Amino acid sequence: MGLFDKLASWLGLKKKEVHVLCLGLDNSGKTTIINKLKPSNAQAQDIVPTIGFSIEKFKTSSLSFTVFDMSGQGRYRNLWEHYYKDCQAIIFVIDSSDILRMVVAKEELDTLLTHPDLKHRRIPILFFANKMDLRDAVSSVKVSHLLTLENIKDKPWHICASDALKGEGLQEGVDWLQDQIQIMKT
Amino acid sequence: MAAAASSAPSSGSAGDGTRATSKWLDAHYDPVANLHTFSSCVTLADLHGDGDYKLVVGNFGSTGHEMKLKVYQGTSLLSENTLPDLPTSVVSFLMEQHEPRMPALAVASGPYIYVYKNLRPYFKFTLPPMEPNPMEKVVWEQAKEDKVDLLSMKEMLEAIRENAEMPLSVQSLRFLTLDPPEMDSFVNQHKSQPIKRQTVMTCMATLKKNRVDEDAISCLVIGTENMEILILDPEAFTILSKVTIPSVPTFLDVAGQFDVEYRLTVACRNGSIYILRRDSKRPKYCIELSAQAVGLVRIQKNIIVACSDETLRGYTQKGKKLWGVTLPATPITLGIMDEKFQSFQAVLVALANLEVHIYRDKNLVNVIQVPDIVTSISFGHYGREDNTLIMTTKGGGLIIKILKRTSTFHKGDTAVGVPVAQSIKLSVPKKTKLYVDQTLRERESGVAMHQVFQTDLSRIRLMAARAYVRALECSMTPVSESLQEPLKLNAVVQGMGPTFKLCLNLQNMSENRAVANLLICFVYDENRYSIERPFFKAPMLIPGLNYPLATFVECLGDQGISDIIKVFVLSEGNSRPLLTAHISMPVSEGLAAA
Repeated sequence: MGLFDKLASWLGLKKKEVHVLCLGLDNSGKTTIINKLKPSNAQAQDIVPTIGFSIEKFKTSSLSFTVFDMSGQGRYRNLWEHYYKDCQAIIFVIDSSDILRMVVAKEELDTLLTHPDLKHRRIPILFFANKMDLRDAVSSVKVSHLLTLENIKDKPWHICASDALKGEGLQEGVDWLQDQIQIMKT
Repeated sequence: MAAAASSAPSSGSAGDGTRATSKWLDAHYDPVANLHTFSSCVTLADLHGDGDYKLVVGNFGSTGHEMKLKVYQGTSLLSENTLPDLPTSVVSFLMEQHEPRMPALAVASGPYIYVYKNLRPYFKFTLPPMEPNPMEKVVWEQAKEDKVDLLSMKEMLEAIRENAEMPLSVQSLRFLTLDPPEMDSFVNQHKSQPIKRQTVMTCMATLKKNRVDEDAISCLVIGTENMEILILDPEAFTILSKVTIPSVPTFLDVAGQFDVEYRLTVACRNGSIYILRRDSKRPKYCIELSAQAVGLVRIQKNIIVACSDETLRGYTQKGKKLWGVTLPATPITLGIMDEKFQSFQAVLVALANLEVHIYRDKNLVNVIQVPDIVTSISFGHYGREDNTLIMTTKGGGLIIKILKRTSTFHKGDTAVGVPVAQSIKLSVPKKTKLYVDQTLRERESGVAMHQVFQTDLSRIRLMAARAYVRALECSMTPVSESLQEPLKLNAVVQGMGPTFKLCLNLQNMSENRAVANLLICFVYDENRYSIERPFFKAPMLIPGLNYPLATFVECLGDQGISDIIKVFVLSEGNSRPLLTAHISMPVSEGLAAA
């Protein structure tokens, strides 16, 4: 497989493009995660709160990702739903240390899952239980319990504990996402 | 983590059945947070200038002795500072323009304001001492020179307390509460110190100095027990302005800027609200409430007050009443809800029936069920969330709710003025000539008409009274008025004719005396009726029992005419009847049919 991919790229064949939405509450680390996934020479040094959204691209071994990095601030969250239609996967980022706002994250996730554009589509959702480096962060199991992820029956999902500042756990998540997308395609 | 774990099961119960339609998310509920406080001692502040708002609580402790300044971040306690006395108010304010903008905390407690910066004690402001009573001063000077004995000293101080207008100092008041054996040591300990009289703070608020911005520096406004409102400079802590008001302030609301124009709204202990403006030496407007104020908030230019008589009232800033609504239970505390994104402003009223009502003007827009009586309520930025509702309960619990992003409130009837029903036209018929004439007549000779009516009314009363007296005198009534033989007679006619059964029910109304030797006699037209026994003797009547006495009446005529049969109840040897009953006999149906 790897050899074939290398051959394909060597021959100049384009990698498959996928559109991914990156969602989550403000200050959960969406932009930091996306930034860390980009090649090291293209990474930004300072991360500032996203206004509206920004489009980022990065490549994995077999796919070319176009990520819509949405702003998580309350006043921009109503923009999310306009991008549901043409996305092929969702990355949902959670601040594991913000226990108070876990209900808000759950509320946003529930509205996302019941939205008519997504309800009947079997698209993969990748959860990042981010900020694992913080002292009062809860485990990814606890996060999935608080968000009642076990109730998601009709979509493939996966939760990864991550620390976006160091980049820990990100690759594992992206690998899962890549596999899922390839299963979908075939 | 313990807090988080406890929140998970309880958050479901806090929402109860309304969860599906609730506008609020139950973020956190800790029933044993040990937060005993009131709304004036709770504030939300961005203490570190990083956009992460903290909750600052001046806590009384469950016994009222463990006073602490507690700071919460998220669901956990960030820091605790012990307070030397009970706090009356906690506010956050910006003292200076330095970056980053880190607000200081001011805790009003007794005669002091403790200022904390970066959660560390920074400054202590003391209210200026007041002139002590000169007579009291003399007493203590004598005590210093041992010229006076303890008991006469106590008498003198009590006399001063009774008569003088100026209250005693704390030192003298404490002395008066002591038992004689303790007095000596107390006086020896305190006699060398000069007596001081100091007032205490009752409420505190902030007032922007010269800019309206969110991060402008603010002055502290304090209300004191000696009926004064002071405005303090935020940097030097000097008194910038001082106003005397007619009563002790309890709630304070401030609008405007100190250097430009400002307006103080003060609810006082005498049940009045005073409105003062910059440079006014005395209150400009006064609102007299029918009951004590429980809370005071200002929404834009309107003042909203909850009163202890279960009402919520709205007033203009000139003291004119706009509306009033009756609350379903006693209000406990009041808070303002300022939702910036939808620019929705409302009043939060915590009630004694475990509910929090949200009023937009006089319209109830939302009800929140709470598991315990809410004693403090605040709404605003908390953590990174904009619309957070924080409540503490009587049992020391902490409830944090977050307003859903998608929830909207029914804005209510925003039209000011007349209700809709008032503008619906009624089809009133035209005034007739007769009506107009009658009205004119009534207007012209109203007095005469009234007098005529009153005369007639008096006459008819007189006639009624006379007829009643006559009836009593002639024993024509079915109830006997004689005290010896209180009797009651009741007659019923049964049957359709020509033979009727006449049932008399005779009852002795006296309490314990039996009545004997009674005779019953019927008087009737002998051409029309024949009675089997027109005269018979009644049995002895035992008190309280009902004696049914029946006799048969036969109708003789065939014209179908009815007549009256009179029944007399007589006592033996007395010709005057005790009771009379007139029985209207029905028409004999049997004859009419034949």
